[in-house]
Amino acid sequence: MDSRFGQKKLPYILLLPSIIVSILFLYYPAIKSFILSLYKTAFFGMKKIFVGGENFIELFTSPDYLNSIIISLIFSAGVVVIGLAISLFIAVLVNQDVKGVRIYRIGLIWPYALSPAVAGTIWLFLFNPTAGLVNYITESLWGISPDWISNGKLALLMVIGAAIWKNLGYNIVFYLAALQNIPREVLEAADVDGASDIYKFFKITFFFLQPTTLFLIITNLIYAFFDTFGVIDILTKGGPVNATTTLIYKLFIDAFQNYKSGLAAAQSIILFIMVMGLTIAQFKWTDNKIQYGA
Amino acid sequence: MRGIGRVLAGLLVVTITSLLMVVPVSAEKVKIEFWHAMGGGTTGVIDRMVADFNYTHPDIEVAVQYKGSYRETLNATIAAARQGTPPNVIQSFEIGTRQNIDSGIFVPFQELLKPGEVDWNDFLDPVLNYYRVDEKLYSMPFNSSNPILYYNKDMFKKAGLDPDNPPTTFEGIIETSQKIVDKGIAKGGITWALHSWFYEQWLANMGQNLVNKENGREGLATEAYVNSEKSLKIIKWWKELYDKGLWTNPGIENWSQARQNFISQRTAMLITSTSSVTSVTNSGKEQGFEVGTAPIPIPAGETRNGVVIGGASLWIVKNEDPAKEQAAKEFVKWMSLPENQIRWHKATGYFPIRKSAVDVLEKEGWFKQHSNYKTAFDQLLETKSIRPTQGALIGRFMEVRTIIEKAIESILNDQGSIEEVMDKANKDINDSLQEYNRVVH
Repeated sequence: MDSRFGQKKLPYILLLPSIIVSILFLYYPAIKSFILSLYKTAFFGMKKIFVGGENFIELFTSPDYLNSIIISLIFSAGVVVIGLAISLFIAVLVNQDVKGVRIYRIGLIWPYALSPAVAGTIWLFLFNPTAGLVNYITESLWGISPDWISNGKLALLMVIGAAIWKNLGYNIVFYLAALQNIPREVLEAADVDGASDIYKFFKITFFFLQPTTLFLIITNLIYAFFDTFGVIDILTKGGPVNATTTLIYKLFIDAFQNYKSGLAAAQSIILFIMVMGLTIAQFKWTDNKIQYGA
Repeated sequence: MRGIGRVLAGLLVVTITSLLMVVPVSAEKVKIEFWHAMGGGTTGVIDRMVADFNYTHPDIEVAVQYKGSYRETLNATIAAARQGTPPNVIQSFEIGTRQNIDSGIFVPFQELLKPGEVDWNDFLDPVLNYYRVDEKLYSMPFNSSNPILYYNKDMFKKAGLDPDNPPTTFEGIIETSQKIVDKGIAKGGITWALHSWFYEQWLANMGQNLVNKENGREGLATEAYVNSEKSLKIIKWWKELYDKGLWTNPGIENWSQARQNFISQRTAMLITSTSSVTSVTNSGKEQGFEVGTAPIPIPAGETRNGVVIGGASLWIVKNEDPAKEQAAKEFVKWMSLPENQIRWHKATGYFPIRKSAVDVLEKEGWFKQHSNYKTAFDQLLETKSIRPTQGALIGRFMEVRTIIEKAIESILNDQGSIEEVMDKANKDINDSLQEYNRVVH
């Protein structure tokens, strides 16, 4: 390389723009928040005192924070497992040759184009305990009117539902593409051998979908952990009694409602480590562990 | 090269100085920015008031901007002040008082005034009592409100209750609600947003401070009283109402859902801010029922001490340019003039904060035509001037409110006994207070 460019400077000059952007928007804020996490602050850092690791100790001994970890785990498990199961089911359905299948496909992918705020508002109208459509139906059918807002378990269920619905289109697109890439010969060979539909699905189709599924598990995990703030904020604001306060929502409350920038910075460091773990997992597994076909 | 550089630099200096010399002549107007938190129809009221101010003050130009909620307005102000481009006047809610003072980005309003420039005797006592800290007014009270009971007179008639005699005690609320629900007139008896504000009002009304150090007014508070006997009395009543299915829960801080419950006649009573008098009364009319109002209930046998003034005030942000601070002062003074207060009250339902404004309204017969405003007003004027009704000064008031609301919610959901949950809440508030004091002072 040296001989070609004559000097060592050129590659660095070419890299400079992306390095500057990374430093400005990535490394500098990351280092800043790491430093901030060692302080107790007021008014967005206008006043602060150094406390060392106290913020981290406070977090891991706080029942509220530990609770938000558990909520996050339940929430993301729900979003990933139920969400992917439904997406796969729908993708298989719309992969069939039916009349007007394109319209169905568009209709199903559509929610993904909505902003979290719009998605949240739609669900808020549907699940409003006194004026919502869902309760109108449950009341006229079974005479019950569940309180989706003030019952913690129901609220969590509702938020998981909204988060799944919001991301459904994304998952369906990937599954649909994967389904259409399955070599027909294999399925035909199975037909010749007299395999049942269920056998074919689990032994053949599912096998070919593994890489996509793994990819979607990771992206959905990241989505559930970090991108669901909007839905939660509009639907429940983390309530009732922290029942839907995930890690990211807890961070928001501490930073912008309680003005505890130091504590919030400590939380962002913890989240940062989690994202790093997930990213490493994604690189490792999607590249190495799955092989099939050619 | 150097020679040319110097010539260029010289030219630049000459141009800039000549520009600077021209500027003061061509722009006499002092431009200031005003950020507020009044959404919906009220934005228009503010816009029109500011336009009138600009029209009558040729030397000042106020640019007005709606910045979202009180919290968002304050967040934006702090961020802008840190970057050196703050607005000049902002509207900030009452519970931000302690924090605003400690932030150091505001000029105490009274320090900008010459003696006698504002006649403080003309201001209503409960309003001054709230905003005066260490004998000084840091901000100019602007929009003030307090909670009252709204009730559906037609439902009262149907239930065989006296429509001119609404319940005034905790026990009365339970009894009335029970009758309404038993007779199938409405699904619930009463509703109000699950908001700490109402709880604070009851506590003050019963004469109990929220925090120590004389409600945070004789030094920084270090301990809360949410597990005190009077506090538990409120929570027990609330829980009883909920358990009997008489109180409909609109959700945490969900003002609009509470109103919706009442207007769509799912409940016979509503407790909410006086700033809703106009809209609730009108919506009731549209739905075909008459709305009555009454002071908020208190437990039978307790002395009524009155309410804490809620709402917001106008704060002047420190500025390097004294002309801007002076212009900001003129604007804030103008907003509090009696005629502007009358206009503000009629358009929104917030109280006028000056005695002379109240006198004019009375002479006009305004309160006779609008008896629901009178309820609100009497409740305010009958308030005793004691520490609890003066309102607590707390650094992280938002966090304290969240703690209280979550505690109440978990009690309603049977997640622990009332005493246990309130003890824990008290401890959490103490931690918040002490951490704030540690960081700020």
